[in-house]
Amino acid sequence: MDRNIIMKTEKISKIYQMGEVQVAAIKDVDLQLYEGEFVVILGPSGSGKSTLLNVIGGMDLPTEGKVFMQGEDITDYNDKKLTAYRREKIGFVFQFYNLMNNLTAKENVELATEICKEALNIDEVLEAVGLGDRKEHFPAQMSGGEQQRVAIARAVAKNPALLLCDEPTGALDFETGIKTLSLLKKINQDFNKTVVIITHNVPIGEMADRVIKMRSGEIIEETINTNPIDPEGIEW
Amino acid sequence: MKKLDVRLLRLIKNSKGQFISVTVMVILALTVYVSFSMMADNLNDSIFYYYDETNFGDVFVEVVRIPKTAIDRLHRIEGVEAAQGRVSSEVPLRVEDPNEKVRVRIVSIPKETDAINSLHTLEGRELQQTDIRATAVLQQFTDARGIEVGDKITPYIAGREYPLDVVGIVGSPEYIYLMENEQSLLPTPEKFGVIYVTEDFAQSALGYQGSYNEVMIKIDENYLHQIDRIVDDIEDQLDRYGVSRVTKREDQLSHSMMMQEVEQLENMSTAITLLFLIVAAVIINVMLSRLVKNDRMSIGVMKALGYSNLDILGHYTKYSLLIGLTGSIVGMVLSIPLSMLFTDMYMMFMNIPMLQMEIYYIYFVYGILLTSGFCIASGLAGARSVLKIFPADSMRPEAPKAGGRIWLEKIKAIWDKISFSWKMVIRNILRNKRRAAFLVAGIALTYGITMVPVFMSSVWTNIFLLQYGELQTMDYNIDFAHPMSGNAIRELTQVIEVDHIEPKTEIPFELRNGWKKKIVSVIGVPRDTEFYHFKSPTGQPIEVPKNGIILVDRLADSLGVKVGDEILIKNFMPDKEDERIVVKGVIEQYLGTNAYMDIEALNALMGEKGMVTGALVASRDDVIPKLQDVENIRQIQSVEDMKNSFLEFMDMIIYSVGVLMVFGGVLGFAIVYNVTVISISERILEFSSLRVLGFDKKEIYKMISRENGLMTILGIVLGIPVAYGMCVAMVNAMVTTDIFGIPLIIDISSYFIAGVATIIFVALAQLATIRKIYRLNFIDALKNRIS
Repeated sequence: MDRNIIMKTEKISKIYQMGEVQVAAIKDVDLQLYEGEFVVILGPSGSGKSTLLNVIGGMDLPTEGKVFMQGEDITDYNDKKLTAYRREKIGFVFQFYNLMNNLTAKENVELATEICKEALNIDEVLEAVGLGDRKEHFPAQMSGGEQQRVAIARAVAKNPALLLCDEPTGALDFETGIKTLSLLKKINQDFNKTVVIITHNVPIGEMADRVIKMRSGEIIEETINTNPIDPEGIEW
Repeated sequence: MKKLDVRLLRLIKNSKGQFISVTVMVILALTVYVSFSMMADNLNDSIFYYYDETNFGDVFVEVVRIPKTAIDRLHRIEGVEAAQGRVSSEVPLRVEDPNEKVRVRIVSIPKETDAINSLHTLEGRELQQTDIRATAVLQQFTDARGIEVGDKITPYIAGREYPLDVVGIVGSPEYIYLMENEQSLLPTPEKFGVIYVTEDFAQSALGYQGSYNEVMIKIDENYLHQIDRIVDDIEDQLDRYGVSRVTKREDQLSHSMMMQEVEQLENMSTAITLLFLIVAAVIINVMLSRLVKNDRMSIGVMKALGYSNLDILGHYTKYSLLIGLTGSIVGMVLSIPLSMLFTDMYMMFMNIPMLQMEIYYIYFVYGILLTSGFCIASGLAGARSVLKIFPADSMRPEAPKAGGRIWLEKIKAIWDKISFSWKMVIRNILRNKRRAAFLVAGIALTYGITMVPVFMSSVWTNIFLLQYGELQTMDYNIDFAHPMSGNAIRELTQVIEVDHIEPKTEIPFELRNGWKKKIVSVIGVPRDTEFYHFKSPTGQPIEVPKNGIILVDRLADSLGVKVGDEILIKNFMPDKEDERIVVKGVIEQYLGTNAYMDIEALNALMGEKGMVTGALVASRDDVIPKLQDVENIRQIQSVEDMKNSFLEFMDMIIYSVGVLMVFGGVLGFAIVYNVTVISISERILEFSSLRVLGFDKKEIYKMISRENGLMTILGIVLGIPVAYGMCVAMVNAMVTTDIFGIPLIIDISSYFIAGVATIIFVALAQLATIRKIYRLNFIDALKNRIS
């Protein structure tokens, strides 16, 4: 496999001040992500995985350490540059989809693409996520799985370097969850996108190229999966 | 269209009630601003156009008698362009009802071709100097009395009746606003009119062969800045003809009333516009800050997608900008026909025959800038918390607010007696202090705005009651045609039965303090007067001093003097020296700006012992018909008549009161409606939980109604000082000349009426929100935890 590093963190920590106590959400995390890779970050709630994702995605800045995206240190970025970074490089998929409920499926995707320079064809992406015939529907008219697919289409259509998914199956039933994972895998393969999924759901790790386990803000284990299975084979 | 804009439009569609209610306020603000400003300009232009067309004079001088040659000599004064003489005198007019006393001012038309104060013929034909026994009559008078061209009218001049043919109905720049004098309460066109006659007729009938008693002067416009110097020169030159009064155009009664009207329109335009814009801005601010709060997660998503702070701030500010633009456009469209309609009505009411109607587009520009500016500023202020939202944080649900005990709970004695549902109501109010404060402030403001028209409608009644019920208690005010001896009073008592009678002397003087000067009537009254009850502005009774003068407060203000100061009293009588006199008192009086002295001291000043120019009478007798044919009586003013003309005036006031009430209603509705809708949308989860606990929709609605009810009561209580302040501001805005003053008396009933009106407005807004509660899908709200 081509091992081009797309993203690298150096000893990043995020410390929150909770009253008089300091709580470290993540501590000295070193992480590399490679181009075209499918990574699953596993950990129980409170392990710091969402914080890590937010820092990588430029949604939050680390208290210490550095984050390099394609060689550039984003921790030095001002607000404007960080916004541009999120706009051009990152696609987010959230647990609760977070669609704009007064925009249709297609409009939700367009909302993301109209500010990007190298956006993909929206109709193709919607077709790819299987929503070709549902694109004029509003979120309230769609099931959770469909909404999540819109959210994925929204993230993918921006044509980001990195697709970050925060518990993408967390709010879905098993079958819909599996379909969503298959879609993410397909995107990873068809569009050659680096996909990072964070979840507490251990079996999902079986489909990843690499599994990173976190506990209490630290990476405790990293496993390379030489034989990732097809999402259809996952069970929980 | 950008997707953010699509989202915005759908957002507006979903909250159209709020959007419309705020937009209506902006529409009102802009309509009032544009149409009132244009009306003021058009009125002003029309007045001056009329002045130009009719060659309205710049200075008017009243003299005892002056020959033509003396008038012609005025041309020698640098800056005097033209000077013309005329004869003018007030005489009774014969009318069918002997109980009715109607007076006309007979005015001669100059023989010069380029007549000053020329007449504008509205009906019939122009009066010619060759006409015999003919007259042209002022339109207000013919309208009020139903006089038509071809009718005969009969003035009663020096003991003789002169039937005159009405050949024309005219307008005059001098009497756009027809009032007999500064002391008149209101225009009474059916009791007082102006008729124009030929110079020959006037001179022979009134006994002025070859001479005049008034001089009209036109000043070269390049010399208008020197008007004071010119007036001084004129006074010097005419001194020996017995100058009784010099009036510059700016002090001319009709002109100054018209200018006051223009100024009032401008003041109203500014005040109402600002009020509505400020309230709209506050509502927008609250609305957007709540919207941003509720949209926290969406804002986080937008930021995560790569939208910048500026993009998002712009997105929300566009909401308010759209309110501003929609309001401006609709307001503009409305204001053109409205201002035309208003101006037209105004011109008719004000008797300006020449309408100068222009659309001043500049007011549209100002209006749009003003409304958009207000809306954008309030929108930015409301949406600024967008900047503080961090995308990572916004994804997490907000921590619930700490719900500590409220202070009232600590007072066990009260708290324990309150029912559970009322406890919830009170807690809700006290826990959302900002929202509650806004609602209370809004209701207080509504109360204030409602109060102003109610107050205004009682103003004239109060002026009337004060002036003729407390300060001056005579029934009749009789003026003699010329100064008489004290015997005249005795003779009067033989014709009519009087309960009490007092002599008076009323003479115009120029009062000066340094460069400040004012021509006013000085009225001499007996020191033991029973009719005048002078009071200082603080309510202390003031006696007529043996020496010295007492001034009406507005006069003292415009001269810049106080009790104890000395003023110069300038004598118009030929060969009389000016004298210095001490101000012994300043009194409160709402109608008329004049001064009072002891009658004997005044006569001494004039060098005429025992002179009287009129009488004040208390009588239950039918005074007017009995004095109808008595010579030497110039006019009789009956307090009863004034009361009647006042009642007619009331109709017009009620109309404008209605308009202001509607404004107050719109304001109150918009505030209460918006706050309630915001409050409902913020509390969906809370209401949903209550529904799960078994509350029905009605009970929830009742709870909100109770909250609003409590705050309405509080708002009205706090509204009392607000209302008072607005009435003070209104009085200040209305009194722009010193012809009259407005007493700040607010009746208890006004407070009550404004209160009831406010409650009605709140109730209407409350009813409009009922749908919102009944349509809420509580279960969905709980399941999705979205609002």
